Amino acid sequence: MSLSLIIFGTIVLALLVLLGLVLRGNGQPAGSYALPKGSEEAGRAHTNFLPQMRQALKPDDEEFLARSGVRGLRERVTRERRRVALSYLTALREEFEELMHVSRVIATLSPQIGVAQEFERLRLRLSFLWRYRIILLSLRAGFAPLPRLCDLSNLLSGYSVRLEETMREMGERAALVAEMVSSPDRRRIHRI
Amino acid sequence: MAGLAKYIQWLWMLSVALQVLVCSLLFFKGYYRRLPVFTAYVLSNVCQAAALYVTYNLYGFRTGSAIAIGWSTQGATQLLRILATTEVIRLILRPYRGIWGLGWRVLVGAFAAVFSVTLIDSGRGLQWTIGLADRGFHLAFGIALVACLSLVHYYSVPIHPVYKALLGGFCFYSCTAVIANTVGRILYLKGYGDFGMGWQLVTMGAYMGVLLVWLVALRTPLPEPPRQLTFPEAERTYWEMSPRINERLRALNERLDNFWNSEATQS
Repeated sequence: MSLSLIIFGTIVLALLVLLGLVLRGNGQPAGSYALPKGSEEAGRAHTNFLPQMRQALKPDDEEFLARSGVRGLRERVTRERRRVALSYLTALREEFEELMHVSRVIATLSPQIGVAQEFERLRLRLSFLWRYRIILLSLRAGFAPLPRLCDLSNLLSGYSVRLEETMREMGERAALVAEMVSSPDRRRIHRI
Repeated sequence: MAGLAKYIQWLWMLSVALQVLVCSLLFFKGYYRRLPVFTAYVLSNVCQAAALYVTYNLYGFRTGSAIAIGWSTQGATQLLRILATTEVIRLILRPYRGIWGLGWRVLVGAFAAVFSVTLIDSGRGLQWTIGLADRGFHLAFGIALVACLSLVHYYSVPIHPVYKALLGGFCFYSCTAVIANTVGRILYLKGYGDFGMGWQLVTMGAYMGVLLVWLVALRTPLPEPPRQLTFPEAERTYWEMSPRINERLRALNERLDNFWNSEATQS
């Protein structure tokens, strides 16, 4: 089979698959203008557990367990800690997606958007997802030892607190705009 | 119609009949008012078929005059195809001025970039260049359309089923044309003779399939044209919040980057 046929055949196949994916759905907006359900609560819930997360990932406990010599317990604790770290990472991803959703709602409703801003966000999103997957895979495979999981906890907690502030602010601003869209009198909406 | 196989002539007539049906539907239902460029595109195809019928009868299928007239009329329909696609996307994005501003840039940028790349190696004679340009056009068109639709999907903008059928049909036809052109080129280079008939068969078959889908889709009513709304508050919110969101995302990326690097150095 010719190389050009393979190349163009692959491109065409990819195009048709993508076309099918983007044209899927019933023609209704997936998330409409609704804000993520309880985004503020979700962010707050995650940060509420931060002290416990930090405690759970502290290397001191592991050292103590190693010294005490209880067989099997150390491995079990390690497994549990890894599971907790993975759950936390997943929660962070959800918060990240919520933030992206809010940004999309704002962009959709705005009559003018910045091309550079949007492309930058797309680039950052791809970059985040790439890094996130690498960390996730290394955690799942057990490549990251627990002291480093503690570093991850510090990293995530710092971000999560800031994210919560941003989410709250975004939520309030976007809710205001979304309310205007569904508001019956729409006094502040200008029809063209 | 000297030089054209009998089954191709039948397919051609069937294709013209389908185009006339689509045209009639567009006029009968009054859709030509909402989709004027799309209507012009379908009409131009009917006119092109009539022009080619006369040309092939006068000069034959494989003569220089027939090829020149065929490809020059093709240029006009290709241009109308681009405009018709833009018209449909414009209708979808009408209420979203900001997204439309981004969408048409993606459409133009992707098309220009891909089309330029596909024209590399085009300096090998007219016939070669025309074939390459046709494949390049369809490939660029397909990629630009899917890129623009991906953008629409990313922002969760709803697409009415009729518009889905129209855009999906355009893209499917272009994909078929890319494959037909590639196979034709390979056969030509390997000396297996002229793929003209095969090319006609494949592309015409695909176009007839698309016309059938359009016929079915256009039986359902078009959506009411949405009002264009502007929200000054939303725009202000966007310009205030968007850079801040990006800043947060950038900070997170840097953190993740540092995490990975520190781990790499520690190992």
